[in-house]
Amino acid sequence: MTILIASQLLNGLATGMLYALVGVGLTLVLGMLNIPNFAHGALYAFGAYFTYTVVNLTGSFYLAVLIGPLLVVLMAFVLESQGIRRLYTAHHDYQLLFLFAMALILQEAIILIWGPVGFSVLTPRALSGVVDLGFIVYPAYRLALIVATILITVALWLFLTRTNVGAIVRAGIENREMVSVLGTDINRVFMLTFGLGAYLAGLAGALATPILGLTPSMGADMLPISFVIVVIAGLGSILGAIASGILIGIAQSLTTIWWPEASNIAIYVMMGMMIVLRPQGLFGTR
Amino acid sequence: MNRKMVAIKGMAIAAAFGLAATAISASAADDEVVLLGIWPFSGPYADIGPLLDHGAQVALEQFGNEVAGKKIKYITRDSETKAGTATRRAQEAIDGEGVKFMVGPWSSGVGLAVSEVAHRNKVMYAFSGGTEDLSGKRCNRYTFQWAAPAYTAVEANLRVFKKNNPEAKSIYLFVADYAFGWSLQKYAEMLAPKFDLTIAGVDRHPLGHREFSSYITKAVAANPDAIMMVNFGLDAVTALRQIYNFGFTPKKPVIMAWSSGTEELIQLDPEMRENLQVGTNYYWTIDNPENKAFVEAYRKKSGGVPPGYAPAAAYGMTHAILTGIKLANSAEPQKAIEALESYKGNTILGETSVNAKTHQINRPYFILKTKPKSEMKDEYDLATVIDQSSVQQPPELNECSDIGGF
Repeated sequence: MTILIASQLLNGLATGMLYALVGVGLTLVLGMLNIPNFAHGALYAFGAYFTYTVVNLTGSFYLAVLIGPLLVVLMAFVLESQGIRRLYTAHHDYQLLFLFAMALILQEAIILIWGPVGFSVLTPRALSGVVDLGFIVYPAYRLALIVATILITVALWLFLTRTNVGAIVRAGIENREMVSVLGTDINRVFMLTFGLGAYLAGLAGALATPILGLTPSMGADMLPISFVIVVIAGLGSILGAIASGILIGIAQSLTTIWWPEASNIAIYVMMGMMIVLRPQGLFGTR
Repeated sequence: MNRKMVAIKGMAIAAAFGLAATAISASAADDEVVLLGIWPFSGPYADIGPLLDHGAQVALEQFGNEVAGKKIKYITRDSETKAGTATRRAQEAIDGEGVKFMVGPWSSGVGLAVSEVAHRNKVMYAFSGGTEDLSGKRCNRYTFQWAAPAYTAVEANLRVFKKNNPEAKSIYLFVADYAFGWSLQKYAEMLAPKFDLTIAGVDRHPLGHREFSSYITKAVAANPDAIMMVNFGLDAVTALRQIYNFGFTPKKPVIMAWSSGTEELIQLDPEMRENLQVGTNYYWTIDNPENKAFVEAYRKKSGGVPPGYAPAAAYGMTHAILTGIKLANSAEPQKAIEALESYKGNTILGETSVNAKTHQINRPYFILKTKPKSEMKDEYDLATVIDQSSVQQPPELNECSDIGGF
């Protein structure tokens, strides 16, 4: 049983780190807009589909993981500058409706461009196969994924906490009026923040392709999970989103040991308990 | 004009539209056969909905859009793969459009609910899915089951697996946690000892699950000779990808007990398809004239993509209903049902008949072996049919004690 639990912790960590990337991206945009980005799941899906396309064109998974998320950032810049920005002064209902519509339009766009049938992406040769960890034989790609996502998360944390741009982004999330009053071009800050959130969603989508494959509904599948992450984390908490993503991944994984049928429900139960017992979330403040 | 007058006029116009619709539907019922295709155009099986619709249309075209001297009016509704939505829309179509014949949707749980609507409204209905209840304990005179019985599917899968892997002693089950999965799991546990196999473990997963690593870890720890997957669609495809990533395949085989065939296999890279045994209700290379005609007609609609289980099922269900009407030479559901109950003939599946006591359509179930990339003639040449079974469920195991009257 100990070995099984250790194995599931590893599984949970791999899944959880992907969730964390998506969750941090959503948290950044949520802090900026004060409403959830319903199109976040679609951006995650586009990250996967762009990656698939680049893999087919170049044959290189690594190049695809670099380019795919950047193409999502370009999409996000268009979305922000041509759509959301025009609604910053409007009531939140309009922003919600716009983002909800974009989520549906982008999902349908995937079907129009790539078709309704899903695809698979093979793991790169160097990361295919399994590694014997002593207590478990584990896919090399998943181990690499854990390492890569930890490094990305650390780099993101350093960017947000140790650079001037990062400080402005955080300030914009905390209090956008104050940042604007201090002479910073708030439109650029918002565009940067939206782009960064989209990049993280696209990157998670790209890295997930060898594990989850691609389907037009993959964004819609990920969106509720990312909302759960943000609620458990506490609204606007980046550190909380990372912890919450990992926690949810591990909770899902451990649930399958004792009650597999409930593995999807477990995270919503956690969210419900969090709302009742600690409404501000793990790292949020009242 | 004051607001009150506007409201009254608005209501009057709406009422007039309603009256017109009623009049139209009443007249439509007199000179048309109204057939409802309730398909999943959104929700978890949204990708399958258009394929089902195309399959049904091929059957209609083969009948020249006419049956028993009447024009066929084919309408569709979105089931969303939700029992509540599907039953509401089916009822609305029955009330508003004069539907007397119905096919669909694409989920056992939803199909069971729609069957109740068909029974209550005296509508002839055909469904295809893994639940044994439709032709079992929840059978009724208006409902027909096109898919093979769960018993037939499991028996064929285990028999062929044991024949090809005589040293194998155990299998591990991944089961979709709804009506279809439960039916097949029951027979896997019942029939495994007959083939000298033990069940090393069973994990039920929710519909729409996308992360199988935890289940795979458990299965690998149990060290079975094969994993048998009793799931479907994206669940099955996702699980297979991850089973491959964990290195289980191609070293050890995976049995896809109830696969859609083409639609699932085409989503996998050829390397991921190695060492798969695939059980399915249909595969497009079934060699008979009826199937060749269907495949040719379908490929014209689909841009060359051959039909998988979904379009074949939609075709088969629609064809069965129209055959009943044609044999009865009547658009009365009861007469068409009576005619279909005694049907025996050749269909796209080969020799086919109807069990009048249960409304199970007796037909073969197919076992495929996937082809390595080097043996594929083209991208759709995914597998070879290595076995077909017509072993039917023993009568004592069927819970349809009385199918009832009209």
